[in-house]
Amino acid sequence: MNTRTFLFAGLAVALVIAAAAPFIASSNPDGLESAFFGIFGAKEIQGSEISEEHAEAAEEEVTAITGNEFSFDSPFPDYTIEGLAKYGEAAAIIIGTVLVLAIAFGLSRIMARPE
Amino acid sequence: MHIPDAFIPIPQAALYWIIALIFIALSLRWARKEMKDDKIPLVAVLAAGIFAIQAINIPIPWGTSGHMMGAALAAIVLGSPFAAVFVLTLVLIVQGVLFGDGGLTVMGANIINMGVIGGFVGFYSYRALVPLFKNIYPAAFIAGWLSLFIAALVTAVEMAVAGTFPLELGLFSMGLYHAVIGVIEGGITAVAIYLIHTARPDIMAEPSGAVSS
Repeated sequence: MNTRTFLFAGLAVALVIAAAAPFIASSNPDGLESAFFGIFGAKEIQGSEISEEHAEAAEEEVTAITGNEFSFDSPFPDYTIEGLAKYGEAAAIIIGTVLVLAIAFGLSRIMARPE
Repeated sequence: MHIPDAFIPIPQAALYWIIALIFIALSLRWARKEMKDDKIPLVAVLAAGIFAIQAINIPIPWGTSGHMMGAALAAIVLGSPFAAVFVLTLVLIVQGVLFGDGGLTVMGANIINMGVIGGFVGFYSYRALVPLFKNIYPAAFIAGWLSLFIAALVTAVEMAVAGTFPLELGLFSMGLYHAVIGVIEGGITAVAIYLIHTARPDIMAEPSGAVSS
């Protein structure tokens, strides 16, 4: 497989994963979030029910503990595009994938340049 | 495992940023020295693939989910733990800035956990395990598992230092969930290495002192 084919095959695999992600990904909290909910009483550590009410209180509680109130409005919060449902999420993840590819490619090119 | 802003006090988050910046500088030095034209497509594809696969949360028991981290994969394929720092830093910056996945003040901690710890544990455990198994795939699976599991335990310690999680309960719950998520990490690491090895055996780094292919 030549380098060009490898690059395009790899990008194709990445884009298929990106497009499929919102349709197949679980919306359960991730490991860290789940540990957080468990420790702050919004769920049992080895249980699966999350209490929405306790989850909200937990977020206020942890901010009070750390005092880190920094917040930032990202353009596509949680990989969503406003007004677009699952297809918007797929688009957001595809945009991210292409952007990461472009940045990695560009930065690597600069790094590979001889002195 | 992306830590949000609220989980770490800003002074501690700043300290993690400083440590992360040192490793980022070292990763740029690695790139300056080791990056050759023939490696560029591999780095770019790995970064894009790792970003995409991180969007797939796979359900595990206990109402929880987890996704691959990709640091062990990047370090093994590119032959240096600093390669993982390089790739994961790019991925984490895009995730944090564009998608609000992982906080900005705490991004240094996320780079340490996923890039540095993930990359170093993945790389060195792979190097130690390949001669033991005389086969790269079980070594890659275990290296992937360990990279995620150890990164999760380090995260739990950071949470304890932050006052966010009690140490024991944090280690227990993070360890429990990530012992399972690690199977995903190990499995995809081994499969991805198989695919890259099959497509382009020439561009994959050799595990030192071991027979590959």
